[in-house]
Amino acid sequence: MSEDIHTLSGAYAVDALDDVERARFERHLAGCSDCQAEVESLAAAASELSVLTEVAPPASLRTRLLAEIATVRPLPPLPAPQDDPVDEAVRSAPPTPVPAPIRPAATAPTEPPRESPRESPSEPGVDQLDDRRRSRPPRGLARSWRVLVAAATVAVLAIGGFTVWRQIDKDPSRAIADQVLAAPDATRYGQRLAGGATATVVRSNALQKAVIVTSGMSQPPSGKVFQLWLQDATGHMTSAGLMPGGGDQVVVLSGDASHSKGAGITVEPEGGSDQPTSDPLAYIAFA
Amino acid sequence: MDPMSRFSVVPSGDESPEGTARHVPLEQLLRRAATGDETAFAQLYDAVSPRLFGLVRRVVRDPAQSEEVTQEVFLEIWRHSARFDPNRGGALSWMLTIAHRKAVDRVRSAEAARHRDEGYGASTQDVTHDSTSEAVVERLDAERVHRALTTLTPVQRQALELAYLSGYTHTEVATMLDLPLGTAKTRIRDGLIRLRDTLGVTL
Repeated sequence: MSEDIHTLSGAYAVDALDDVERARFERHLAGCSDCQAEVESLAAAASELSVLTEVAPPASLRTRLLAEIATVRPLPPLPAPQDDPVDEAVRSAPPTPVPAPIRPAATAPTEPPRESPRESPSEPGVDQLDDRRRSRPPRGLARSWRVLVAAATVAVLAIGGFTVWRQIDKDPSRAIADQVLAAPDATRYGQRLAGGATATVVRSNALQKAVIVTSGMSQPPSGKVFQLWLQDATGHMTSAGLMPGGGDQVVVLSGDASHSKGAGITVEPEGGSDQPTSDPLAYIAFA
Repeated sequence: MDPMSRFSVVPSGDESPEGTARHVPLEQLLRRAATGDETAFAQLYDAVSPRLFGLVRRVVRDPAQSEEVTQEVFLEIWRHSARFDPNRGGALSWMLTIAHRKAVDRVRSAEAARHRDEGYGASTQDVTHDSTSEAVVERLDAERVHRALTTLTPVQRQALELAYLSGYTHTEVATMLDLPLGTAKTRIRDGLIRLRDTLGVTL
């Protein structure tokens, strides 16, 4: 597992990892400067191949695009990382330690209140935080800039500028997700959702935890949230926490997942429900 | 559509992104775009759109979807232009990385995958760099890349092309090339390292 994760750098640089591998590698990348440098240089090498595929786009595309950007405000710059002692500390910290065994109490809530307005309503999900940064408290203006970073572009920024990676903290749910994704007994169960989104649950019975990795999720309707559920052998659904909408997410399901027979995602009123009140968007059977 | 025709190229000379890049640094255009300068962004678009659109088109294949993705890519470049960090690589590489990721995300979504499977199937495997060499041989940049590709082993080259130009995962590449599971990622990485070292890519 972890001994060969470095070798994923090439596949990562050419976007040839699946969602779960990508999530796993990005977590490794955050703490591995060797891999960061390698990914940057390999991505640059790969991009040279595009000279072989050049083709001019139709003129109508230029017209449409220039009309569109006239209505969209560019995002402000990210603050320089050198000015941020917290980030320096995170960057120089050793790779995430492995606090084993995992105790359920270590599962932090992954759905703090959203503190930032969406910048561009026409782009659902693009300004959504991912769970890691969501669980960090806002720290003034600099922090609120960061929360605007698109989850969908995290990897891009990771290559174009590693600033984003320096923000990654060591909240407990992140450490748990890392362990589950890298667990020797990790088993994945996937499903495609309407609209092309995907949801994959990775479960480790040894760790008794499950992690959901989503890609291309939309936002929940206004005033609603996505809620996760674990289903026991009798069919009873127990809440496994809330999940942010939009972009790519990696969320630890709260509760012991080792005896569950499946996981579901529903749309629930703000704050979540005790029992599902709507048909699931997705039900992923652990079989 | 004949897969070869997708390799048509823009005329060489001033319109090539490399040529333009030498005259008006892309980094400078990005910086100006970050301040909301639409003219600078239009110049940037003119300089790099054949590279970005061509790559997206190669991965996505469907012309209408390729245009959609390319528009999303440039919108993202516009919005994130202030966040480009020149210390972490060139502007063109940054933009191509955004384009590639978006193109791959598109083909991996269920709907697009279905279209691709129906429309093209295994024909993607026929596309090797050899089939493209005639169309681009007069271009120095392309020639340089072609030469660099010849230093790769055939398997490294095929794995890299299926991953980067066709957007397949390393697991899919392993199946297509009949490689033992887990070795395609190594071939891709080894091929990229050789390509990088031969091309003298520096950050």
